[in-house]
Formats: sequence, C-alpha cells, structure tokens
Amino acid sequence: MNKLKLNSSSITFLPILVCIPITYELFINFHIGGIELFREFIISALNPKINNEIIFTLVKRLNETVFIAFSSWLISMMFGVILGILSSEIFYKIINLPKFLKRFLNLFLTFIRSIHEIIWGLVLMQIYGINFSIGVIAICIPYIAINAKVFSEQIENINLKTVESIKQINGNKSSTLISLVWTPVIKTFKNFGLYRLECAIRSTAVLGLFGVGGIGTSIFLSFQTLNFRELWTYLWGLAFLIIISKELLNKFNLSYSSKKFLTLFVIALFCISLFSLSFFVYFIFYKNAIPFNSINNLLISNLNFISYDFLKLLLETIVLCLLSTGIAISFPPFFILFFNNKIGITIIRIISFLFRLIPPPLLILLLLMFNDPSISLAAITLGLHNAAITSKLLLANLHNQDNTQYIAMKSLGVSKRSSWLFGLFVKQANSYLAYCAYRSDIIIRETAILGVIGSVGLGWQLQESLSSFAWKEVLVILIAYSSIAIIGELINDKIKSNLT
Amino acid sequence: MINPLLELKEVSYKNKNNFTLDNVSLRIKSGEKIALLGKSGAGKTTLISILNGTLKPNKGRVKLFNTEFDKLNLYQKSKISTIWQDLRLIEDLSAEQNVNCGLLGKQSFLFAFKNLLNISSFNKAHQYMQVCNLKKSIFSKNIRKISGGQKQRVAIARSLIQDSEILLADEPFNNLDPKLTSNIKNLLLITKNKNKIKVPKTTLISLHRLDLLDGFNRIIGMKNGEILFDIEKTKLKKFHLNKIY
Repeated sequence: MNKLKLNSSSITFLPILVCIPITYELFINFHIGGIELFREFIISALNPKINNEIIFTLVKRLNETVFIAFSSWLISMMFGVILGILSSEIFYKIINLPKFLKRFLNLFLTFIRSIHEIIWGLVLMQIYGINFSIGVIAICIPYIAINAKVFSEQIENINLKTVESIKQINGNKSSTLISLVWTPVIKTFKNFGLYRLECAIRSTAVLGLFGVGGIGTSIFLSFQTLNFRELWTYLWGLAFLIIISKELLNKFNLSYSSKKFLTLFVIALFCISLFSLSFFVYFIFYKNAIPFNSINNLLISNLNFISYDFLKLLLETIVLCLLSTGIAISFPPFFILFFNNKIGITIIRIISFLFRLIPPPLLILLLLMFNDPSISLAAITLGLHNAAITSKLLLANLHNQDNTQYIAMKSLGVSKRSSWLFGLFVKQANSYLAYCAYRSDIIIRETAILGVIGSVGLGWQLQESLSSFAWKEVLVILIAYSSIAIIGELINDKIKSNLT
Repeated sequence: MINPLLELKEVSYKNKNNFTLDNVSLRIKSGEKIALLGKSGAGKTTLISILNGTLKPNKGRVKLFNTEFDKLNLYQKSKISTIWQDLRLIEDLSAEQNVNCGLLGKQSFLFAFKNLLNISSFNKAHQYMQVCNLKKSIFSKNIRKISGGQKQRVAIARSLIQDSEILLADEPFNNLDPKLTSNIKNLLLITKNKNKIKVPKTTLISLHRLDLLDGFNRIIGMKNGEILFDIEKTKLKKFHLNKIY
C-alpha cells in the first residue's frame, strides 16, 4: 500500500474534519427557543430603523468610533515604529548597547502582544472605570507590540552588508540608523500600517460591545433590548464606515515624492506621540484607581483555582483554538471548490462580508438563540469570523494569479473543480497556509472574547475573576493566556518558516 | 621617515569559513596609487575590509594617521571611503539620495532626515554624479530601477562625495563598459580638481584586469591570504604576475 503523503493543498482541506465533532455537539445542543427572534433579526437586515433620532445617534457613535480607532492607530503606529527599531538587530549593531536589552524588550513586547485588546479593555475598565481613554489605551497596548513586531521584521530584512557600508561612512549614529531604517519603515507603513487602521475600527467596535463607547455600545444596547431594526441601522453604519475608510485608504497613495505631506505627517506623528505619552503617564499615575490602589491587592486576594477547575478551562481554550483554526483554514477552499461559479463566488463574498462585519461577540449571541453554550458554538463563531477573513485573502490572491494553467487544464477536458484545484489553488496553497498560520495567532488571542460571552474557557473565568476583583486570579489567567499565545506563536513561526 | 597614512602591522584574520589572512603588513603613504592584484578568493576584499575597519583582525594592529583604529573618532574614520564590490547601496532610495548618504560623516542628523524626506539640497550630489558620467534623467530614479553600470557609478559618486583622504575600491570597474572604465579610472587616479571635485590623493584599488594598470605607481599581489609581492609599478615583471595567477 502506498504511504500517505500530505502536501500543502491536502493539509488545507484536512481540517474540515473538525466539523464532525462540532456538528455533533451543535446538533445535540440545538433548540428552537430563539428561532422566531433569529427570523426577526434576519428580516430586520433589510428593514433597518431610520429616523432623526437614530441617525443622530449613529453619527455620534460613528464619530466616537473614528476618534477611538484613529487615535489608537496613530499612537500605536508611532510607538510601534520606535519599538520596532529598538527591538531590531540593526539598532544594536549601530548603537553599541548590550544585547540583553533587546531580549528583554522582545520578551516584554511578546507578553503584551499575546493578550487581546478586549482583555486589556476589561482589566482597565475594572481598574479605572468606563471612558474613552480606556478604549484607546486597550487597543494601543497590543497594537503597539504587534506593529513593533512587523516593523522589526521588515527592518531585519535590510542587507547587513548595506549596514556595514553606511556605518563605514562614519556619520553620527542617529543619521546612520535613520538612513538605513527609513525605507523599510515607510514601505511597511504603506503596506501594513493603513490596513491596521481598518483593524483598529473593528477592534473599537468589539470593545464598544463591552461598554467602552462608539458604535459597538449602541449595537450591544440594541441587541439587549432585542431592537433588531435599530441594531441593523448601526451594523450598516459600521459597514459604511469600514468600506469608506478602506476606499479612502486605497486612494491615499503615499509616494516618496510627496515631500511636504510627508514632512508634515512625520512632525504631526511626533507631536501626537509626545502628547499621548504624557497623557498615558498622567492617566496611569493621577487617575483614581479605587479597586486597584496598590500592588498588594495581587498578593492578598484569594486564589481559588481548584474550585474553578482551572486546568479544564485551559484545555477548553486550547481545544477552542484548534477547532476555530480548523474551520478558518478549511472552509474557504472547500466552499470555493464546491461553489466554483460566478453566483457561488458572489454568495461566498456576501456571506463572508457579513461574517466579517458582525463582531464575533454579537454573532455568538445570535447563535445562542437556538443553541446552548458550548465549545463547538464558540468554535463555529470564531471559525466563521476568521474564515471570512481568510476567504477574502484567498479570493483576492486567486483573482490576481496567472490562470494559464487553469485554462490549459480546462481545454484538456478536465472538470472545472479539478482544474481549479490543480491549476489555481495548488499554487496558492503554501502562501495561504502561511497566512492561516499567522491568522491562528490572532485566533488564539480572540478566544478570550468568545470565552467572555460564550461561557467557554479562560475568558469566562476572567470575567468572573474581574467582577469579584480577584486580582491574583486575573493575573494567573493573563499569564495562562499569554503562555498559550506565546507557545502558539512559536509553533506558527516554525510552520511559517517551513512554508515560505 | 614619513609616517604612513594607513598601516597594517602583522595582521592575521580568520573568518567562519576558515579563510585566513596571514601575517600581513602594509604601509600606505599619502599620494600613493596602489593596484591590488590577485585571483578571486585571494583575500583582496578581506584586506580592504580590514583597512577600512569593517573587519577586526584576530591579531596585529591597524593604524590610521598613526593612531590605533579603535581610538579614532568618527571624523577621523570618515577619512577613509570605500567602493564595495557589491556596491551596498540603500534600496528604495533614489540615486541622488544614495549619493547624499556619502555626506553623513560630515553632516548633522537633520541633514540625514531631510535627505530621506527628499527636501535636502542635491546640488553637490548632482555635481559628483555628473562627473561620474551619470545622466540627469537618472538622478531621482529609484536605485532598483537603474542598470548595474549606473548603480556602480552611483556607488563611486557616493564614495567620492565623502571627501576622504584615502579611497579603497574593490573592483570598481566591474559593471562598466571600456569607455566608462577609462573615464572612471582617470577620475579616481588623477587628483587634479576636475569640475571642482576633490578626489582622494591616496587610492588602493583591487583589480582583475591587467590592462588597467596604467596610472598606478605601486602594485601589490596577493594569493591565498598572503601578500606575495609589493613593488613599484615600474618594477613589475611577468614572473610577478605568474606567482599570483
């Protein structure tokens, strides 16, 4: 018998097997209690509530969302660049500083990156109360670390021989450093930075569901009162904001020759960063933080994890990650393969847009209308949301790909599906899997949100511990989350390096 | 005895691939035009990298202006300029921005910043680029979008604008056609102020082509990391070349 040999294409389809346990659990947990509500929700999508009051609230909430998203994006970009440079090898080659500082900084950034903005938001809200600044700071903390990682990776790609040649000119160290890192930083900002603004808008919407403000808060309040028509007005508003911002960003073609604009932009970024740093320091040290007035709280609060079955929750979180990742990887190629015609692809695009638009916490609340809380429900929610994102990328890459092989295969009489599989998808499989590996890093971090809402894994425990101000438990959960994320990231880095 | 500008004393170097430079001593005096000959892998690039301070020898001493290399300040170090064999230009910057990078040793951080924002003065860079036979149309072109020969001349202009006292060049004529090779060689070896451009008085150029030896006054031959001969150009005989090729 031939030995089973897996390649990138087959590995992409294999995780569809996660559907077996998920379907089974969803089936046994199914109930029809909320079917009527769900029907109403679907119908309301086409009949959103429009009156002066709603429009006024919508505009106000969108303004808040833009404010939080834009401020956090700007601050996280600037500090991301600075920390990205500080955590790159080249910085230490030019400025002769001990390398343990780099290791220490990278460790610190890995830790703050591993915890989702929602968790930061929940923790900060519990300490400082609800206000706009919480939204900005909660998004900024992981975003700064994520941006720093991306910028640092791009800076590391500079040819070391170029570094030597510029060093050999013997200019002052800051001039040498800026001359070397400038182009990778600007290039990364163009390719990645603008996309992060879209991410910041989405994160703001999700944070809003937890009360920080912005459109998310209105969406959540409408859902709580089961006012689905109003809910859809806000959801379409959010869709409008995402589409408009994307279109504007596409138009915003930053060129090296736009001298005045660049100069102003850099100066503005610098001023805003200084301002935000001072604001951050003020916020941390002078604002009242009643429940968390000393570090002693960490030591004197109870740690009663055995009763919470901590290990079970940890395991649930890991299983949730694996199931969601399986869905996110396998669904897009599977559905594109089986509905590979113009109408099918259009429907896939519309559905994936809706799954991207509806924040995962809201999606799980909708699914809870006809299913009991379970790992499978959380996994399908998180998986579908992320599959919507991976499908967007896959469709875009397939569209841009050279299709001569596909046409050649079809002309040989090969079926459309086989031609697509062997003529188009095979070429994309490696890069698609590499992107999915990156996506799974995000899925690991996102399990926290689903945990909070869907009563699964550590997220649920975090909510409980925060509500009872059990800071020691909160700390242990954060460390557990961070450990899972860091281990996941290490595994994914290994996978990515094997694939690319 | 006149102090040499640059001196290597019993220098040995061993890299990761076990390539060794064995007990090399060399004194370079002001005004010398030195051709460094040798087959590929003879150690020419390693020797140049040690002379400009990029590589630190495992043994021996390197002195510039009679001072140990480690004790030199940045200004003194900037008195050596190098044209690298693999050019080592900054990708994605324009040709003129790359040439301006040669001024980093003499200018402030603000200059570097303005250069990157494309708002600094490029007059000096243009002057040097023109002398290196570069056409105006490529001045503002991205370095990725110009030919190998044009890149070579950008690298040469970058090292000349440095206004150094010693020029070290590692096979600088590689990508140039015969006419350009002759022009650039004359530019590097003839120190008269042409077009108000100051060219370093002292030059060490590594070469492969023996037909380019005109204009040099000293020839150094290398093989397997050792200097086999170091003679005046007028004393060069065929058997010298047979030793190294």
